Amino acid sequence: MNIEIVEKILEKHRKQGDGLISILEEIQSRFTYLPEEALRMVASERNIPLVNVYGVATFYRAFSLKPRGKHLICGCLGTACHVRGGPVIVEELEKNLGVKRGETTPDKEFTLETVACLGACALGPVVVADGKYFPKVRKTKVKNILEQVRKGFEDSSVEQDYHIFPVEVSCPNCNHSLMNPNHIIDHYPSIRFIASFDQKHGWIELSSMYGSYKVFTEHEIPSDTIVHFFCTHCHAELTGSSPCPACNAPMASMIVRGGGIIQICSRQGCRSHMLDLG
Amino acid sequence: MLKLFSIDDLRNLREIITSDIDIKKPCINICGETACLASEANLIVRAAKGHILGKRLHDKISLRITGCHGFCEMGPTIVTEPQNAFYVKVKSEDVPRIIDATLKNKYVDELLYTDPKSGTKYYSQNEIPFFKNQKRTVFSRNQKIDPIRIYDYIASGGYLAIEKVLSGMTREQVVNEIKNSGLRGRGGAGFPTGLKWEMLAKQPSDEGKYIVCNADEGDPGAYMDRSLLEGNPHGVIEGMLIGAFATGATKAIVYVRNEYPMAIKHLIIALSQARDLGLIGENILGTDFSLDFEVVKGAGAFVCGEETALMRSVEGKVGEPRQRPPFPVEKGIYGKPTAINNVETWANIPIIIEKGASEYAKIGTKGNSGTKIFSLVGKIKNTGLVEVPMGITIKKIVYDIGGGSIGNARIKAVQTGGPSGGCIPADKFDLHIDYDSLAQAGSIMGSGGMIVMDEKTCMVDVAKYFMNFLKSESCGKCFTCRKGTQRMYELLDEITRGQGTMEKLDLLEELALAVKDTTMCGLGQTASNPVLSTLKYFHDEYVQHIIYKRCPAGVCTELVGAPCQNACPVGTEAWRYVALIEKGEYEEAYKVIRAPNPFPSVCARVCDHKCEANCRLGTTGGQPIAVRALKRFITDTVDPSVYNSEKFIPAGEDSRRIAVIGAGPSGLTAAYYLSLDGYRVSVFESEDRPGGMLACGIPEYRLPRNILEKEIDALLNENIKLECNKALGRDFTVDGLFKDGFDAVFLSMGAHKSRTLEFGADSAPHVFSSINFLKAYNLRGEFLAKGRVGVIGGGNSAVDAARAAFRQPDVQNVVILYRRTINEMPAYEEEIKAALEEGVEIRELVTPGSIFTQNGKLTGIECFQNVLGDIDASGRRQPVLNKSKKTLVSFDTLIVGIGEHPDTGFLKEMEIAIDSDGKPIIDPDTLATSREGVFAGGDLVTGSSTVIGAIAMGKKAALVIGRYLRNEELWQTPEIRLPDFFLEPSPESDVETDMELPRIEIPEIPVESRADNFSEVERTISREAAKVECGRCLRCDLAFTQKREDEIAAVGDKAK
Repeated sequence: MNIEIVEKILEKHRKQGDGLISILEEIQSRFTYLPEEALRMVASERNIPLVNVYGVATFYRAFSLKPRGKHLICGCLGTACHVRGGPVIVEELEKNLGVKRGETTPDKEFTLETVACLGACALGPVVVADGKYFPKVRKTKVKNILEQVRKGFEDSSVEQDYHIFPVEVSCPNCNHSLMNPNHIIDHYPSIRFIASFDQKHGWIELSSMYGSYKVFTEHEIPSDTIVHFFCTHCHAELTGSSPCPACNAPMASMIVRGGGIIQICSRQGCRSHMLDLG
Repeated sequence: MLKLFSIDDLRNLREIITSDIDIKKPCINICGETACLASEANLIVRAAKGHILGKRLHDKISLRITGCHGFCEMGPTIVTEPQNAFYVKVKSEDVPRIIDATLKNKYVDELLYTDPKSGTKYYSQNEIPFFKNQKRTVFSRNQKIDPIRIYDYIASGGYLAIEKVLSGMTREQVVNEIKNSGLRGRGGAGFPTGLKWEMLAKQPSDEGKYIVCNADEGDPGAYMDRSLLEGNPHGVIEGMLIGAFATGATKAIVYVRNEYPMAIKHLIIALSQARDLGLIGENILGTDFSLDFEVVKGAGAFVCGEETALMRSVEGKVGEPRQRPPFPVEKGIYGKPTAINNVETWANIPIIIEKGASEYAKIGTKGNSGTKIFSLVGKIKNTGLVEVPMGITIKKIVYDIGGGSIGNARIKAVQTGGPSGGCIPADKFDLHIDYDSLAQAGSIMGSGGMIVMDEKTCMVDVAKYFMNFLKSESCGKCFTCRKGTQRMYELLDEITRGQGTMEKLDLLEELALAVKDTTMCGLGQTASNPVLSTLKYFHDEYVQHIIYKRCPAGVCTELVGAPCQNACPVGTEAWRYVALIEKGEYEEAYKVIRAPNPFPSVCARVCDHKCEANCRLGTTGGQPIAVRALKRFITDTVDPSVYNSEKFIPAGEDSRRIAVIGAGPSGLTAAYYLSLDGYRVSVFESEDRPGGMLACGIPEYRLPRNILEKEIDALLNENIKLECNKALGRDFTVDGLFKDGFDAVFLSMGAHKSRTLEFGADSAPHVFSSINFLKAYNLRGEFLAKGRVGVIGGGNSAVDAARAAFRQPDVQNVVILYRRTINEMPAYEEEIKAALEEGVEIRELVTPGSIFTQNGKLTGIECFQNVLGDIDASGRRQPVLNKSKKTLVSFDTLIVGIGEHPDTGFLKEMEIAIDSDGKPIIDPDTLATSREGVFAGGDLVTGSSTVIGAIAMGKKAALVIGRYLRNEELWQTPEIRLPDFFLEPSPESDVETDMELPRIEIPEIPVESRADNFSEVERTISREAAKVECGRCLRCDLAFTQKREDEIAAVGDKAK
């Protein structure tokens, strides 16, 4: 466990004045579980007995004191899923993974959990794997779902997937095109602007394909760094209208040719984006 | 972003936005909420964006990614404007077509919602029965706005209510408005919202007050709160602004469950937009009203939906409830006055302010005003979110909006109120839903989950399911809740495993009442509801589990084993022969089929195959294994002589004697099994040959005579004496039988008397009962049907008669007259389908009136038109006669097939009690009639029923008569039969396939060659087809046998 990360989290929440649950949530999201050392740090930082922190950590289902797998598989056992055969699906998951619900495979690849309702009742039985919902799951489909999870959902090829298309953008301030025909990414002109972070300035080029996350930069950007984007023509900062819904970092916005706005999160590593065609 | 400093600023902004909108500009609204996303709506959104960008259609069409449209079953859905076309189950490749059609004001017909039963296509969303019968008020904006665009909300009239409030209403006026509206808390308890606000408003405000939106929607099966937050977060925010204004609250908190990531995301975006615009924060719209919001995420604890637990959770503590008083309005979060309302309650507030309290109160019923959103889920056709006025009947929701059951299974209950609620049985579906009526019926409103349950849902399992949930969600503070839910779960678990006793059932009830009375918070006080309500309405299901060791729904694994085997009345191990066929071991398969059933070839043709109806492949959304066709394959392929494993004891002169009356499947089965044990059996048959309904009722094209005769011949042996043309009541009596030295009698004469039409038409010329008509051909080869043939009725015997008439030489055409619609016909689906294929016409919704004759010949029949009325207890719509609409239909022959009952008037004189229908009154556990030594079974006691049911009763008769003759206890607790023979799964069946193979088609002779002959219609499937079909089997047996096999293997390992 990296103590610095916990310290950073504690400091952030101290500033925001957040409660214990938010702190534990963030620690868990970084480590997949709540390490004992982190709990001790939280207790001393908040000046509350460790037993109270432990109490909260064990009371809420969302927290785990044991490390969890790389992939999280969650079988819904809400009432609607239950009457539509949810238990059979969870048993099949157990059989295929070789672990019981609540457990993690020895290779730390998968954690199998159940939830009492995901609110997707019309589509029961539902399985959520790494955030992706699988509706009306059948016993015969379980193997295939696990196979997909193992492969990962995001390695679809840009060339073959027709859901991926180019978006041409311009600066919201000076309306100049931000497209760079001199650097082709994914067979299309890239989007170029100036990136600024930690007193470093340099170019950054993104794929213009909606759904591709390819980026080239002059300086390597450390993960989690907030980057400021500027127009290459008028040098105005491309600020968004609201913070990133996923990580609360500022968003950068651009005008879409033909009409509409696209916003992208400015935090390195966050893939959150919004395309609004109006 | 622009900031609003005054109410006028807001008005101006709204004017600018709305004047910018071109109402004629088409728009497509794609549902982008969680459930539709699960059905890959994200790809649809991308396809739409790609198409619009690629074709540069920005100016011509608008695109909105909206919240839930409600009809989640049909997702992903798209609604177009201004057409109001509703496209369902859209795939991403369909999107360009939809956009292009919408641009030209055209429709993509094949993607429009089409009623699966009637085939009606709907061009407008409002006409679809699912929507038409709702009253969408709180939900109305959901499909019209993009939840993350605040301008969409403002343009649709959003923030008008807060504008009205801030433009001069006093706090008291707002509170009074809410009080007068009659709004009650939508979280479930139904506390009047206005009253709660008034109490909060009266609290001193020097240290601040809180209002909270409870979005910890923990009830499994309810998701309207999620949908509202995802689809219209500004509506909730506006409601809270009004609430804060009215109560003087200084801080607003939204407590939302962690399991709803999209709701959290949309809420956070909406809050930041509202903050930027100056709609929340300091000095809102230039007034001295200020309010800020905080979003607190729950961490997965159901009890945190309870208000005092929620408050502690907000404080970052363990979410344990505490004693009230003090109530939260006095002492809430951090000790400050707090009012907590549910998401849906908050979403109602702007509507009340906009409409005015008196208008709002007109919706719903007195004391229960407004609408309520239900999540209609479970075993129902149209699942989704429905918003209806309070006071609507359950029936209307389930049938008119929900469209009834998914398949053929009958709906038996709805469960409302989540784990704290209860089950309401189908015969109470006339209940008008409101807070008070549901509580009276033993359930609660809860947050509005309505889970529909059908015959395949086990109510004991449901109670166990909820108790399992509650025992793990109990916070543990109250001993009776912590231990009580645990013990109740254990008792229920015992019952579902066949280990319950009636004494423990009493204990369960006692415990349930104790928990209810001795716990502190809502969770504990209502935790017993699932147990108490199922005990009240479904006591028999508990008894079935405890006494009969049966789970009628086929759910409780440790009683059911493999569902196919469990469903079969004679317990045929279908899984086993299916596995054997796959391995090519046909002879072994035959033995498995034959062992429990002396009529394998008959059942291979005419069984109603409950195994298929219960096959897990089918009940989990696929197509069931074609078990009957596989059985047919084996009985056609293997010589019956391979089966010789039964012990036969030859009877001696002094062996006990049994008389079996009626040589149908039930009587012959009883005779056969009694004969094996060395009893001397005499079978008396009133017709000239054995077989009962198999011979005289079922036509040859379904069951060839040689097959039947061979099967019956194989059953007879030297212990059985068959005497035909001998009828009880005509040729001999029960007294006579006992006098002749018989020790026991089994009555199985079947049900051969046709019901008659009310208007006494049966005596008219060329009018026959279906049974007499079928007998005339089947037994005597007579063709009674001529010319235009009418058949009245919708059961199997009517359809058999129609198909038999179709095959007779002088027949011109055949018309079935049925009083309901094809969907309600009780005949087997495949029979109806075959009749239609062969050209039999089915005229729906007609009731026959009087018969017309001329010169001693039938000329026709007068028919009245019916309409479908209300749902009856069987879940079918009742025909309602419309006497004013009548037609005359010309017929030369009329066949009446409206049901059969036994012909047993003479039994009374033989001291055997019968009911009003003529059926002997029996003890269902022992088949014993009112007369000592006389037993009865088959159609005689059930009315016309299935072949396999009759065989099963014959087997039971043999068992109990044997016990009777040996002076043993007639009733003995049945054994639980689970798969106990391990068959290695074949490696091929493990092959990874994404595509699921479809069920095999059963070959039939072509329709053209069916007229004028009685050749068998269905044919045998091929070896290859059989193997493929068997490969589809899920092998439910392995869960029981493989475990044991692994254990045995493990023993071997240790030995090494």
